[in-house]
Amino acid sequence: MTGHDDIPKTLAGLPNSAPRYIGQPIERLEDPALLTGQTEFIDNVVLPRMLHCAILRSPHAHARIVSVDVSEAEKLPGVFAVITGEDAKRWSNPTMTVPPGWGTHCLATDKARFVGEPVAAVAAISRYVAEDALELITVEYETLPAVADARKALDADSPLLFEEHGHNVMLQKVFTWGEVDAAFANAAHVVQQTFRWNRLGANPLETFGVISQWDLIAGTLTCRGSFQAQGHYAMARAMVFNLPLNKVRFISQPHGGSFGGKGGARGTDITALLSRKAGGRPVKWIEDRMEYLAGGASQAWDRHYDAALALDADGKVTGFRVKLLDDLGATAEGWGAVSAAKPLSNFTGCYTIPAAQYDLTIVATNKLPGSPYRGMGPPPHNWVQEQLMDLAARKLGLDPTEIRRRNFIPPDAFPYTIASGNEYDSGDYRATLETVLEMADYPALRAEQARARAEGRYLGIGVVNTIEPGVFDWNAYAIVGQPGTGVPEGCTIGIDLFGKLTIRVGFSLEGQGQYTVAAQVLADWFKIDITDVRVVALDTLSAPPHFGPGGSRLGVALTGAVLGAAHRLTEKLIAVAAALFQTTPEHVELRDGMIGVKGMAEAQMPFQEVAQTMLARSDLLPPGVDPNPEATYVWTAAGRTPADEQGRAKSYLTAANACHVVLVEVDIETAQVQIKKYWIADDCGTRLNPANVEGQTQGGVAQGVGAALLEEAVYDEDAQLRTSTFMDYLLPTIYEVPMTEKRALCTPSPFTPLGAKGCGEGAMHTTPAAILCAINDALIPLGVQLFEIPASPQRIWTLLQRR
Amino acid sequence: MSVTRRIAMTVNGERHEADVEVRTTLVDFLRGDLGLTGTHVGCEHGVCGACTVLWNGRAVRSCIMLAVQADGAELKTVEGLADGATLHPIQQAFLEKHGLQCGFCTPGFMMSIYELLTRDSAPSEEDITDTLGGHICRCTGYQSIVEAVHLAVEKMRAT
Repeated sequence: MTGHDDIPKTLAGLPNSAPRYIGQPIERLEDPALLTGQTEFIDNVVLPRMLHCAILRSPHAHARIVSVDVSEAEKLPGVFAVITGEDAKRWSNPTMTVPPGWGTHCLATDKARFVGEPVAAVAAISRYVAEDALELITVEYETLPAVADARKALDADSPLLFEEHGHNVMLQKVFTWGEVDAAFANAAHVVQQTFRWNRLGANPLETFGVISQWDLIAGTLTCRGSFQAQGHYAMARAMVFNLPLNKVRFISQPHGGSFGGKGGARGTDITALLSRKAGGRPVKWIEDRMEYLAGGASQAWDRHYDAALALDADGKVTGFRVKLLDDLGATAEGWGAVSAAKPLSNFTGCYTIPAAQYDLTIVATNKLPGSPYRGMGPPPHNWVQEQLMDLAARKLGLDPTEIRRRNFIPPDAFPYTIASGNEYDSGDYRATLETVLEMADYPALRAEQARARAEGRYLGIGVVNTIEPGVFDWNAYAIVGQPGTGVPEGCTIGIDLFGKLTIRVGFSLEGQGQYTVAAQVLADWFKIDITDVRVVALDTLSAPPHFGPGGSRLGVALTGAVLGAAHRLTEKLIAVAAALFQTTPEHVELRDGMIGVKGMAEAQMPFQEVAQTMLARSDLLPPGVDPNPEATYVWTAAGRTPADEQGRAKSYLTAANACHVVLVEVDIETAQVQIKKYWIADDCGTRLNPANVEGQTQGGVAQGVGAALLEEAVYDEDAQLRTSTFMDYLLPTIYEVPMTEKRALCTPSPFTPLGAKGCGEGAMHTTPAAILCAINDALIPLGVQLFEIPASPQRIWTLLQRR
Repeated sequence: MSVTRRIAMTVNGERHEADVEVRTTLVDFLRGDLGLTGTHVGCEHGVCGACTVLWNGRAVRSCIMLAVQADGAELKTVEGLADGATLHPIQQAFLEKHGLQCGFCTPGFMMSIYELLTRDSAPSEEDITDTLGGHICRCTGYQSIVEAVHLAVEKMRAT
């Protein structure tokens, strides 16, 4: 029986003396269809008798719903169903939340809690007619005081999001790891600072879309859509609609990017209810961009930090305290508090900090509920920590690079358990730092900075290193109400009668090139041409247990699943071949694509012929043999442990490491920040497809630039959204994103298939911190510092006026 | 509300005639009426560039044009780039340089690049930047797209 021990941790463990694909930047199998416009995104799908949904949304941040009159809308020709909160109450449950008890129905029932909350919805013959119908719906609101500021939401007289709780605190917990009070009491130096990270979010170019079909006779619900984790959304819908899970079928279409939040629970529930009301006709909803910005998965990380480092006289960090007030918005729906809990997996970064504390308060306000975004929780946390390291360096008169050297976890200390309980698998952080400093010619950069200052120009250098926790596990999140250990990812591999291979998986394309990776791995296992492998996505009822992309896990998990299934399939082929060779299985092996008798080079046959025999020559098969040339393997990370009462667990399996160096110039006349140069050294273990990794890195840099300089979901004090289009919510373009110079280091993971580590989020973990640290480095001679993201010209200009 | 007008246009060399509601956007017409779903809608307010098509040889945003504005026009969409089973050099360059990840914005990028490279076979860096500057890609960080444009220039020069 195939197990973890049979999955090779290095290329040398493959039954192939000359692997051609793994580790090569090969072209992606996904791309020809994408390049010719043939990929079937959800909005391309048209079903017979399909209706189109439009959603009426609350214009108020907080308002009691006195009445909803849909009678005129229902009369409009072409309208087939209109639903309100009453229908949602009758036919569904409030959505699940993390933590539990802070959720609502998909349509507002008694009151609306944020601008953009769905209040009613229409299914009509076209989107145009559906939107016409929205204008015929009359909603009477009684507006209520709204709270937009997390700090005010804590006040005793604050408006309440959920009156039944009597307060707005969704979660409050202090995690203490080690003797943190003593560390601060005995510190030679303490640096303390408050930080503000404003809301921003994923903004994939494709918004969410779904087609739901409720079969009234069979009692089944089928949803096609752009779901990042289709199984998870299917499970949640089964709970929302009181349906057995096997009556809910989710079909995930390829999606145009996700970066964490794609799934659209509300839109899925609304279309399901409309389909039910419209007699079972399929109902499509494509979220438009303004709906996405006001009411979609567009906002994450609305955070107020107060954090401090304790240091000894030599600059060794002895303690780290973080107090976080996290504004999750109106509900804890979707992934809720998970994002604030994730930093437990890399709390102390690259450093040997023995004691730490996380004082976490999550509050509700009248803003859009927060969604996941690339990196999930650590990007703000890493910024706070790395900026504090810079402040400490300045206080001690050390170079920012030197204080980091003094605190790195040494390469011989791995596997290393950090104070907050996670175990890092491997790394050489000093090597990463020195590599990027050499690439950037750091001393020359400092000299350039000094020359510029003499000319009255303000250059800044940021040097930031981070850990990217990879291969997420549910156990990291039990502390915020999301229990479980292990995240299974399965695949089925089959050989067909013509000798070609198919890999069946439970997730759809999202952009990271994982189908290509799966095919690379399988092609190298059987020593075949990669074009002989096809990867196919299955729906939730057809696929083996799966989760899909998320938490930088899929490259590793899928490699494990493919190798496990390939091993299991090989065992089946060997059992048959042994009978054909008139020997026993222990004498037969797979070698370079041939199944043969060990030690007898001439006694062998192509593995495909064994499969063909299984499918078409039952007369040759020994009695009792399984004639199916297919195998399934479900991979989950080994050795994961449930969290203790302080949240400590072996959670994320891998710890990738990156160091970014950036040179910026702050124009003190315009307060504009220009990124002049950018260097990256990064170690994510074995790179299965280096071009994919490089793309993830550069893409993460772009999103990090957006976070650092541009992107912000702005609410006014009445919780009205001010950034409802791309004219106001600014995404980085080629004008802002630097072309970076990158170098790869490789410390393979000792724990994972082929030594790979999660690598999809690392640049987003690092770039915002690097740019902000660089800006503050530039501002030193001006006597001001910025501790708020994004570093917009307006914020910098305001600071400069204060000097 | 539903005033219609008869329009005719040539799309990727094929002539189409249709009665459309005058309020129908060009992208909805291309995708919904003609089934040319390779042109994508990213923002529907003319910022992201995903819906870019060629209108009488010029790159335009089909989400903020009405279908009736294309009456009598000659249009080209991403479906018109490849020659049978042979990718256009721009598509081939994107493939080789990993110029895409999710691929949703890519058709729009390629149509603007097509306009640039058919007008100027040796564009300056500034022209390339300005062409790409009208598009948002959320996945790649643009670096591989720039490389793809350079490769496409070489490939188109060689043909």
